[in-house]
Amino acid sequence: MSSTGWKKVLWETQPFPDNYIHPHSFLSSLRRNPNFKPYTYWPLVLLSCPITQHLATIFTFLAVFVRLKERWLDARVLLWVSIISFFGGYALCEILSYSNTVNGVPSRQTSCIAIPELFTDWLHQSGSKTIKSSLLVFLALMGLSPVLRTLTAATSSDSIWALSACLFLLNALLADYSTLKPAPHSQERLTSVLSMNAAISSSVVLASRLPDDLAVFSLVLFAVQLFALFPIMRHRLQVAPQVVQILFTLTLCVVSFVLTVPLSISVASIYAGILIAVTFVAPGVLVWAQKYKKQVTSPSFFLAYLLTRLSAVR
Amino acid sequence: MKDELPAIAMISDFFHPNVGGVENHIFMLSANLIHRGHKVIVITHSHPPDRVGVRWLLPGLKVYYIPFPTIASSATLPNYFTFLPYFRVIIAREHIHLIHAHASLSSLGQEAILHAHHLGVRTVFTDHSLFGFEDAASILTNKLLAAALKNVDAVICVSHTGRENTVLRGQLFEKSEDASALVVRPNVYVIPNALVAEQFTPSTEPVSSETIYIVVLSRLAYRKGIDLLVATAPRICSAFPNVKFIVGGDGPKLNDLLQVRERHLLQDRIELLGPVRHRDVRDVLVRGSIFLNTSLTESFGIAILEAACAGLYVVSTRVGGVPEILPQDMISFARPEEDDLFRALSEAVAIVSKGQHDPVEAHQRVKNFYNWADVAERTEVVYDAVIKSEQRDLWMRMQRTMELGPFAGPIYTIILVVDCLFFLFLEWLMPRHDLDFVQMHWEHRNFVQVR
Repeated sequence: MSSTGWKKVLWETQPFPDNYIHPHSFLSSLRRNPNFKPYTYWPLVLLSCPITQHLATIFTFLAVFVRLKERWLDARVLLWVSIISFFGGYALCEILSYSNTVNGVPSRQTSCIAIPELFTDWLHQSGSKTIKSSLLVFLALMGLSPVLRTLTAATSSDSIWALSACLFLLNALLADYSTLKPAPHSQERLTSVLSMNAAISSSVVLASRLPDDLAVFSLVLFAVQLFALFPIMRHRLQVAPQVVQILFTLTLCVVSFVLTVPLSISVASIYAGILIAVTFVAPGVLVWAQKYKKQVTSPSFFLAYLLTRLSAVR
Repeated sequence: MKDELPAIAMISDFFHPNVGGVENHIFMLSANLIHRGHKVIVITHSHPPDRVGVRWLLPGLKVYYIPFPTIASSATLPNYFTFLPYFRVIIAREHIHLIHAHASLSSLGQEAILHAHHLGVRTVFTDHSLFGFEDAASILTNKLLAAALKNVDAVICVSHTGRENTVLRGQLFEKSEDASALVVRPNVYVIPNALVAEQFTPSTEPVSSETIYIVVLSRLAYRKGIDLLVATAPRICSAFPNVKFIVGGDGPKLNDLLQVRERHLLQDRIELLGPVRHRDVRDVLVRGSIFLNTSLTESFGIAILEAACAGLYVVSTRVGGVPEILPQDMISFARPEEDDLFRALSEAVAIVSKGQHDPVEAHQRVKNFYNWADVAERTEVVYDAVIKSEQRDLWMRMQRTMELGPFAGPIYTIILVVDCLFFLFLEWLMPRHDLDFVQMHWEHRNFVQVR
């Protein structure tokens, strides 16, 4: 019984027992880690920037809330800061999307249009709509703020802290950190909508601890900006050059840290620890853990990857 | 001599009245084992309202339908302990020596392997399909499979590729004698499926050469590569005006097919038959001259064999065990992608339109490749080896189960120990001497005499 006579076929009766395993042919088509591209450290750090930014916004919000509650910060100041940053952020977004279309679509004509013409164009198309809807939100919040203040006023403070902590945790976990640019008319993912809702609910819950209506109004407005509008800008910013992204992240981190330090040194140090862990340690762990990656496929087993390619083509 | 033949219980979630490859395999294997003088029973879950209790199927196959609800695709939930009372009573009543579990997604079969060893019953497992390793569902089911197969006495796979897959999924290797390398366990067998060639005879009148019909008979699901069919069919239709498609089967991808037919205005070129009963398969097959299989994964591909037997020229994707089942000159292979499938189909159309493929000759050849009697004989060899092998005691089974891993090992060992305690409790609650044992099995000869 020589091992040379064996063939990997079923339609012939072969002079071998059924449990015979051919030493060379067995698992010869197996591939380990096909198309495997190992991650490197610094690109991962860059990719973790959105997470860092999001954490920074949460801590900024909390620091502002504590200041409002303790009456160290005038609500009117916060209101003006919110309004100015709204217009600043909006202008930045428009510039980013404009430069994006110029870079992305190589049409000479768009860049040749005169600036004033462009401005009126913008005002007709999206600008008036945006201004209208933002005014609506502004007025609605103003009208609702007495209601929001007393909404959970009867609940004890302990429950409020616990509830808002849970909601912020949910917000941080479900937020959309993806770097892919969403398609123009694609729907928001459910998780990112949930994340935004969790943050807004949390701010509403916290607002009940504030002394007056104006403070409630400014805090909720600030929350809407940080948790509803800022993620949109963060997404737009992902097309910006890396230096801008890093500088932006750094600024946010420093601002939030500086705001946290006077309130509590211990919270600030925990916060700094979290930021460092997320930005620098976690990518390192991922790079290290890659050596355990063991993806086994054989062309004859399963061809899922081909189909994904196929559906991408159509 | 006849007394020495072991009594066998086939256990699977998938059995008649469902139809499919596994179901047919179990029935044909049982029938042929009965023919060889074994006593065979089948244990499966019930199909309310009317397929419940104990039924007899020709030729003298007793089927126990256990009242378990099904979750998806006719599979029951992993019950583990609830199956044991039924199982113990049935196996004891029927004097079963050996259980044969089928299909890796059948929890009934996997649980039976766990329970059987308490009763001193030997176990064989047949795996019918290929699975991946990367998605969450595969990882989970593969772990379940590895746990079930840790103590099984023999494993049968339906193709060589299927064996490679099952060995990896079920971790069917152990340390070699000098403990230097891992070797595959010697109790993993390859026994192919078979078909009844008489049911798939080519049509007697010659197929018209003006119009060439391409037949597709498959569950319309992702695994069967219907996306490939959807992408290729319009291209073939526009390239060859004399080609028409006949598509039989039902499934989630039916809508895609309907849409592509509408979009390219191919209503008169692509005929959709809907679900086709197994007894009508031959009549559908002989209407065409090319059979197309677009599966992305296929352990054996019995449909291909049936088509080849009915005299069709086969075009298939080169996946799984498909390259093993037919000689190269009866089948054209394509890589599972649109362009290559188009190329292979064009070649097949050329071969068929030139009349280079003779259906009758193909039928004669396939007839000699596979038959169920041979399969039953080879399975019998496995049973024989299992019965003769030494049985593992509880301590050894626990040790082997612990080898599963730092987390899965203790969990499955606890399941094993609790199962064993439950078994002892049942022995006390329903002592064996109180059971009504089956004294006589169905004997067709006696039945005919009495009548």
